[in-house]
Parts: sequence; C-alpha cells; structure tokens
Amino acid sequence: MPSAGKTKRRKSSRKKSELDSALGRVSDESVAASMKEFQDLLAQAKGDTSELVRQNAKELEERLVLLKKRKIDKEDFDFFVENQKRDLRAFIDSQPAQAQERTEKLTLHVLEIAARVAIALI
Amino acid sequence: MNPNAAKNLIVRNAFLCAAAIAITSCGTATFSKTGSDARIESLRSFQLAFIDEFAVPGKRFNAAAFEAKVNEGNAKFQQAIAEEKFTARRPVLNDLAAQFKADAAHLRSKASRGKVTPALASEMKKDTNKIYDHALGR
Repeated sequence: MPSAGKTKRRKSSRKKSELDSALGRVSDESVAASMKEFQDLLAQAKGDTSELVRQNAKELEERLVLLKKRKIDKEDFDFFVENQKRDLRAFIDSQPAQAQERTEKLTLHVLEIAARVAIALI
Repeated sequence: MNPNAAKNLIVRNAFLCAAAIAITSCGTATFSKTGSDARIESLRSFQLAFIDEFAVPGKRFNAAAFEAKVNEGNAKFQQAIAEEKFTARRPVLNDLAAQFKADAAHLRSKASRGKVTPALASEMKKDTNKIYDHALGR
C-alpha cells in the first residue's frame, strides 16, 4: 500500500525533527559534544543495514520524545535503556568479530550517550 | 546362504537402522522444539498479563497481590529452565527470567509510588514482546 508507506515516512520524519529541535534547544555547553556525537551516531544507526540496529535507534528516539513530553520519567527511560542493552548483548556476540566494534558503537555506545543527553532534555 | 547375500543383508539392515534412528531423532527434536516454543509463549502471556494487572495508572498498589504474582512468575521461570531439554535454550530462558525480575523491580518501585503512566505500560509491553520474539529467533 503506497499510501501507508507515505504516512509512515511522514510520521518518522516528523518525529525526527521533533527530537532534533528538542536537542537543538539544549544550551548546556558541557553536553554539546555528547549531543553532536549522539546525533551523528543515531543518524548512522537509523541507516544501518541491520534491522536490529535500526529498530534499536528508532525505539531510543521514540523514548527520548516520550521523556521530553514527560510521558515517561528519567527512571523509566533508564530502565528501558538497560532493557535494550540486555537484549542487544546476545546479538552483538553473535556478530562476526570485524562487525562487532561497529555494531557496539551504533547500539550500546549510542545508548550510553543517550543517558547523558536525556538529562539535558528534561 | 551365499556369503555375498548375507553381507548385503547386514549392510541393508544397518542402513535401515541408521535411517530409522535419524528419522526418530528428527521427530523428537521437532517435537521438543515445539514444546520449548510453547513454553516460551506461555511465559510471554504470563509476563504480559502481569504488566496488564499492575501497570495501571491510578490503581492502588496491592503489595501482597504483587509479591504473590512475582513469586508465581519466578517459580514458572525456574520450572521452565529446569524442564528445558535444549541446553542452548537455557541461557535464553535465564535472560527472560532476568527480564521478568527487572520488570517486577521497576513496576514495584513505580506502582508503589503511584507513578505508572500509560506510556510506561505500553512501552513495557512493547519491550516484552520484542524480547520474546528475539528469544524465539523471530
């Protein structure tokens, strides 16, 4: 269904700009470097060939938006980040050695930076 | 009996035995796999029902009912681990048991302070389904 695909794309780009604009409003200089690194890595993760890496990035982005909108709090956010890490470990271990470093960077590392970025968002 | 015919008979019988063993073990493996999958699906249903029961915004927290359900859940996971015949599935079940404990701890903390939100409940269920799908290799 082409119309469904179009709706999905529009929704996803709306969410992206929602998070990007929220991140853009953060004026704390101490987290500026983390913010930039986070945005770059998240963009890479969202375009990765692995579905699990893309899914992880999408979930993380959605939860940052929920946090920003105060639909979940920082405790909930940290809990979900830990769940994501636990779920990803087996997947990373199953990757070929040469792919493990990149996968880890686009998943576990992104999640670790997200915890710092989240503080600046609330 | 001609020695060649006897030899052929032995070879044929050995082949038939090997084929029978292979077919039987395949059948057992498939059957056990189905049973193992069903056990994981049953744990998924229990965990989703647990979230539905206790991750309700505004609901008064009943500590006794909560702890009873957590104990029931822990016992179910331990039983599933003990009964699992696929040794490769045991770490997966251990991970699911750890996830149930983490869910229970988070829910206890939030529900006892009246801090459950609709988004928390729906995200917890989303995570649960994803983790079980991964456990089943989907």
